[in-house]
Amino acid sequence: MEQTTEQKLVVEMRNIKKHFGAVQALRGVDLELAHNEVLGLVGDNAAGKSTLMKVLSGAYIPDGGEILIEGKRVSFANPMDARRQGIEMVYQDYALANNLDVAGNVFMGREVVRIKLGPLGVMDYPYMEQETQNLLQRLNIQIASVRQKVERLSGGQRQAVAIARATAFDAKVIIMDEPTAALSVAAIDQVLELVKELKAQGSSIIIISHRLEDIYRVSDRMIVLRQGRKVSDTAVEGDIHEFRERVVAYMIGARDDFAEQPVAG
Amino acid sequence: MSFVDDVRKLLRENIRDYGMFIALFVIILFFTLATDGLFISPRNLVNLVNQTGYIAVLAVGMTLVIVIRHIDLSVGFLAGFLGAIAAIALEQWGLPVVVVIPLVLFFGILAGRLTSFMVADLGIPAFVATLAGWLGYRGALQLVTRSTGTIIITDDAFNAIGNGFVPDILQATLIMPDYHKFTFILGLIGIAIFVSGEIINRSRRQKQSGEVSSTGMFILKLAGGSLLIGGIAWILGGDRGLSWTAVVILIVAISYHFMTTRTVLGRHIYAVGGNPEAAELSGISVKRITHFVFGSMGMLSALAGILFASRLQSATTTAGTLFELDAIAAAFVGGVSAAGGVGTVIGSLVGALVMASLTNGMNLMGIDISYQYIVRAIVLAAAVIFDVTTRRTSQ
Repeated sequence: MEQTTEQKLVVEMRNIKKHFGAVQALRGVDLELAHNEVLGLVGDNAAGKSTLMKVLSGAYIPDGGEILIEGKRVSFANPMDARRQGIEMVYQDYALANNLDVAGNVFMGREVVRIKLGPLGVMDYPYMEQETQNLLQRLNIQIASVRQKVERLSGGQRQAVAIARATAFDAKVIIMDEPTAALSVAAIDQVLELVKELKAQGSSIIIISHRLEDIYRVSDRMIVLRQGRKVSDTAVEGDIHEFRERVVAYMIGARDDFAEQPVAG
Repeated sequence: MSFVDDVRKLLRENIRDYGMFIALFVIILFFTLATDGLFISPRNLVNLVNQTGYIAVLAVGMTLVIVIRHIDLSVGFLAGFLGAIAAIALEQWGLPVVVVIPLVLFFGILAGRLTSFMVADLGIPAFVATLAGWLGYRGALQLVTRSTGTIIITDDAFNAIGNGFVPDILQATLIMPDYHKFTFILGLIGIAIFVSGEIINRSRRQKQSGEVSSTGMFILKLAGGSLLIGGIAWILGGDRGLSWTAVVILIVAISYHFMTTRTVLGRHIYAVGGNPEAAELSGISVKRITHFVFGSMGMLSALAGILFASRLQSATTTAGTLFELDAIAAAFVGGVSAAGGVGTVIGSLVGALVMASLTNGMNLMGIDISYQYIVRAIVLAAAVIFDVTTRRTSQ
């Protein structure tokens, strides 16, 4: 905690609360993300990690608490608001249109026009294709042609396109929701390499995953949520077995660093 | 890449895109031989185009509706009803043609927006919402024609849309007096636009990625396209030239083709069809796209109603019956996928032409109507089976 506050914070979420009917999904969670940091977010099902990220990406409006982006207070009414502030979310199920090509997906909803006529604006295909080509090259993503339809790509390639799409427009923060779920081992490696590449190029990333070894491989720091509360916020270090045991202890409630009174047993 | 390899690769990769054109070519060739050339005579070709007109226009609109994963069953009777409104406006209200056509098109847009209000804002499935429209417009058509029965349209300008020809502005010149020279000029302009467009496209692609087809293949494509445009212009120019219906189809086809392939709006329509959730998350309003697509469908229904009423020079009490299913069939024959996101305007036009050619050709051959339906059923099923199997192998 001490070392991160000294660095420049990209995201600061303070005391975020959110309930759905009688269910308290988030009971006042704090989250900080430093510049060029990869933060792992783990927790059991219904621990509140996806809810927290949906609050950050504008999909949910919190009941309480505040969000600061680079020190400035913000409030998001919808995902487009968050995106305009530089917060990009890569959704679990890729959120790509399979019938469009790679370039079409990267620029979906943000098409570059040659002739401005509102919705009838004429798209600048060469520019968008060239930019996509450059983007893929920069991120070291192997795809034969940017004119290839997404339905013809492998699972790993699709996830890579989805991540590339999130980084294409100078995002300040990239949130990845289970980026390795439903992928083959080779594809998982591909995606994790991409995450490392993004960090090397200066991105700030929050990554939600059930797979603790993925978090271990790419994250600098890790937050564990349990029943809508933060129970752990520590650097990722040590040996993988020790790491896994520690995380599981937090996830099942055996340990809690932020408890108001010490947990019995 | 050698020429032969190229042809093989082209066929393998684009069989779905070219399959329809090949089918149309085979059908035309077959009927031309079977009717001793009667099928390809100028008079019959004009007839064919004028018969296809109202279905083709509906098929273009239906393509976009199916691309965004909806359906519109109301378009047939809506076309019939709006055709009757056009007839009433002309004959009973005494409005001039230049007022009637925009007015009826506007009514069409309103009708489409009523559908999209139910579909996009109230969340009613399009099948149900437009089935209600099917019933409603059928009733409305009978209601407005109840006191008069069939309304005869006496306005020459209006009737010319479905029956007339573009006048030859070069009539006065002495060269080739028996030919419709304006049609030849239009044909030449068409060839010039096609060739220059293809060359620009190719050089742009070459500069960017270098992956283009071989020169031989490219020349073949240019020659084939030019020959097709030139051939049609030659045949029509030898007779009465271009019909107004053909002009309407061309305008609709070109503007919709441009809209779907080049503009942001077109891209958003296909994005919504491919993955509505992803489109919404990317900031594309699925609602707005739905409103637009059904609005355009309503306008094209109105246009189809005008074409049909003009062709019959009257508005009948049953106009538009089963048009919707013909339009849907044309779209599916033309490669539109029921799953959404896939299908082109040009494909659906070719689909409409295939279905109309079958009817027309079999009529010329004097084949019994019951067999005609069965043949068309087989072609529809075959087209979709072809589409599904080629899609599976391409993955």
